[in-house]
Amino acid sequence: MTAATVGSREKQSPESGVDLWLRLVMIWHVILGLGSLGGIAYVWAGADLADWVKILVSVALGLTAVASIVAVNDINGRKHRGRTISLAVNYLGFLVAFFGSLHRIGVFTGIDSLADSFLQGLPFLILVFAGFFIGTLTDRYQKPATQRALKQTSKAMMIVAGIAFLLAVGIHNGILVLLGKLTNPVILLMVVVTAVFGLMLWAMWRQPSAEAMNATNADNEMLSGYLFLSPNLLGFLFFFAGPLLLSLYVSFTNWDAFGTKDWVGLANYGRIVNIDVARLNTITQLASEAIDVTVYDELTRFEIFGKSYIVGAQDKLFWLSLRNTLTFVLLSVPLSVIPALFLSNLLNSKIAGMKFFRAVYFLPSVAAVVGIALVWQWLFNATIGYINYFITVMVDFLNSVGGSFFDPQIRWLSDSNTALLAVVIVAAWQWMGFNTVLFLAGLQNIPRSLYEAATVDGANSWQQFWKVTLPLLAPTTFFVITTTTIQAMQIFEQVFILIPTNPAGPNNSTLTLVLYLYQKGFQRFEQGYASAIAWVLFVIIFGATLFQFQRQRASGSSYDA
Amino acid sequence: MSKRFSLLFVLMLALGLLLVACGGETTETAVEPTTAPAEVAAPTEAPAAEPAMEEVTLRWRTRPDNQAEIDVYQSVSDELSSTLEGVNLEYEAGGSETSSYQDVLKTELGAGTAPDVFWIPGTDIADFATRGLIMNLRDMATATTGYTDADFYPGPMYHLTFNPETGNTGETLWGLPRDVSTFALYINLDLLAESGAPDPRELAANGEWNWDSFIEVATAINNLGDDIYGYGQNAWWGPYGYWINAAGGGFFNEDRTACALDTAESLAGLEFEQRIYQEFNVAVPYGEDSEPPFLAGKVGMFQNGRWATPGTRSSANFNWDVVELPDGPAGPSNWLFWGAYVVNANTQHPEEAWKLVQALTTADVQGKIASLGANVPSRVSQAALDSFLTYTPPANNQAFLNGLANNPATEGPLWAGNWPEFDAVMGPAVAAVLNGEMTIDDYAASICNEANKVFNP
Repeated sequence: MTAATVGSREKQSPESGVDLWLRLVMIWHVILGLGSLGGIAYVWAGADLADWVKILVSVALGLTAVASIVAVNDINGRKHRGRTISLAVNYLGFLVAFFGSLHRIGVFTGIDSLADSFLQGLPFLILVFAGFFIGTLTDRYQKPATQRALKQTSKAMMIVAGIAFLLAVGIHNGILVLLGKLTNPVILLMVVVTAVFGLMLWAMWRQPSAEAMNATNADNEMLSGYLFLSPNLLGFLFFFAGPLLLSLYVSFTNWDAFGTKDWVGLANYGRIVNIDVARLNTITQLASEAIDVTVYDELTRFEIFGKSYIVGAQDKLFWLSLRNTLTFVLLSVPLSVIPALFLSNLLNSKIAGMKFFRAVYFLPSVAAVVGIALVWQWLFNATIGYINYFITVMVDFLNSVGGSFFDPQIRWLSDSNTALLAVVIVAAWQWMGFNTVLFLAGLQNIPRSLYEAATVDGANSWQQFWKVTLPLLAPTTFFVITTTTIQAMQIFEQVFILIPTNPAGPNNSTLTLVLYLYQKGFQRFEQGYASAIAWVLFVIIFGATLFQFQRQRASGSSYDA
Repeated sequence: MSKRFSLLFVLMLALGLLLVACGGETTETAVEPTTAPAEVAAPTEAPAAEPAMEEVTLRWRTRPDNQAEIDVYQSVSDELSSTLEGVNLEYEAGGSETSSYQDVLKTELGAGTAPDVFWIPGTDIADFATRGLIMNLRDMATATTGYTDADFYPGPMYHLTFNPETGNTGETLWGLPRDVSTFALYINLDLLAESGAPDPRELAANGEWNWDSFIEVATAINNLGDDIYGYGQNAWWGPYGYWINAAGGGFFNEDRTACALDTAESLAGLEFEQRIYQEFNVAVPYGEDSEPPFLAGKVGMFQNGRWATPGTRSSANFNWDVVELPDGPAGPSNWLFWGAYVVNANTQHPEEAWKLVQALTTADVQGKIASLGANVPSRVSQAALDSFLTYTPPANNQAFLNGLANNPATEGPLWAGNWPEFDAVMGPAVAAVLNGEMTIDDYAASICNEANKVFNP
């Protein structure tokens, strides 16, 4: 053997290795493609699945098959597109197989019980952190020997404590159970498939494969970018876009969450918007004499130009909830934005203790809604609540010094005139802190020089606020108003907790759209109708936001200006 | 410390935790009962143990009212777990301050993760049965030696054996009642004594406890101060339903296929209740939770069920007792509240689930729960009633039993319609009347037009 031959082999050996891996990947894609086609045949031949599931699975398998065929062709021709497709297919396949395996093994339900044993291992976990802390001290010492000793101590401590932690929480039991479950052929197959997907993913990702597939730096950067993006993107697709589309489909059915979904077309939407307006002879005329009361419920009656009218709706509660929601928005948005604007100006000054007050005002935003609502529930109690108590004390005091005031004894949550207002107070109080922080951030971006110039020009504080602060704060104001409006449109938790026995409130005065769709979907078995309400709400919110954007553009100060 | 080591270490730790989770399902089981297994006083002949039966795990759930009940249910579950051969029980306490028991249960049923056996209120039976969510146990009950529907109060059993397809009762079995309860008036004896009003318990014993004497007592107590109320109730269908029923009215017509809220009797009952709030002005404002002011000693008579007893025992710092509800124009009236243990239609172990339902409704188990004070045993048994009378305070437990004896209206599902929808129409309208926002005439003109839409065509 000549030196030249040996050199040639040494050069060819890595390429041969790459070729081998690429061939393996191609073979895998052929198997995957055929398996996917076989899966489609099985789904339609014998699987006991709902039609929509069959369609969904078939589309997924069909895409896999097509992608695999294209990948084989491209990899064979050393086109980089083949690598990209192969990586995408294997990455998704790995995730599906991995999480599927975990599900079959029972890890997700097992995590619940991990909380029980976690406490037993907590002391060891603290030791792990202690070991890590020791490791962070190495930089403080100059001597290499000391640094080395600290590093080794840190590592040893972390490893020993880590092992002790896992033993304490029961890893030995978990390993035994896992080994037992691997005797199940389905689980074993899923684990093997997961491993193969992982292996093929690694084979195609590695640098030699990239070079063999003529990957450019741009290709690699693109793939890395998508890899980093993938958790969020997949989460969005599976947990947001997927359910969103499903709810759109459900809105065209009469699904009750348990039985079959019968297609009803636009019937749900028709029921929502079905209203009837009829003229009355007198404003007190019976509704049954003017509208078909077997279909419509009386929504309202009014007089205009001396004539009386009655409005009936097939779903009266939808319109009531829409009215309540819009009223809530009209009250809560100004009440949580305008005070926040003034508060942020106060908190923007540099005086002692200001950071403390900023934290205090922000606290309601980070506190749990449920806890807040429960506290307010007690405060609002008409008979023994603190709000009425203080009002009574104040009235008594004023009367004792010669006043003549009436103690209103406000029935905050049990009077249809005040119940929604009570919810507004809670929500505005809670949202104001967050809005204040947003305004504060906006204020701190306004150059001081503008105020100095205004001062030189003789502007007083109010003029500076009106002529400098407000215009330059417009993008922040727009953002705050838009997000608060959207939040207000979706009001639910505060109402649900504040009036627990009857969230709809006295005479349905706190029935909001989200509460209503919740009641329809989860309490009255009308998922289809609830989904239709959700989409109507979406359209309303979308329209309101679009309107705000257009107004913003028209005013000449877009958000990104 | 090198980043590589840190990364590797964290990955190994995460992998280790995943492995721990693999064993999670098995670590929860095999909980040994802390007390010796008690013999189950079977309502029927004890289910025959099958030899070499493979052990199955059943999940079951109730809606307990407090921690004491959770503890008792857990111990009952542990005991039955060792008594019922081949069955391992996992008890789940459902519901909390912020998560409605029924909402969670319905969501789990939709997701296919609901327990094998669970409790639901009587009003939900029709909805669950007609949607195929709960199992018809009739065949298994027929094959069970010694089982008979007559062991339980006929009111709940009417609905629990109702066949929605034929419209006849006695043909199915959707579950067995866990317990029953009636309303009583919880009396603040200190306020009563201070007011000088006649004692309602004596009035009841003399047959003089009616709406007139009720108003007399309530007014006397109410006059004690601006922050004192003669009477209080909470805003749901039960309390106002009593006033309607006691006047001879009702929510539904005779065969429960149409609204009867606009009959003369129903309107008379509601009108009287409206006067309590608007004319006599002796009650905690309608819609306000009356329990806190009652427990704070500011309400003379608080209308509530047996389930309010544990809270009153633990929180009331005054002398108290109970008295039956006053007789209305149509005579004595009350509700018979109940809920039932039912079997998930998708359970993998229907036979074992049926055994569990029987075991949970034995006199022994019901006695243990009833001793906590929250409810009355659902079995028609003098021994159970005698035992119930000993669970004091309140001293006058007989008031609850009198409510049972006086032909109470049974809380019931709406087989011919949708109860939650009916309730959603009725509740706000009644509240508007009681709050003075709607006249009785306007209410009468519209209520059944709206409510009748919830009945099946």
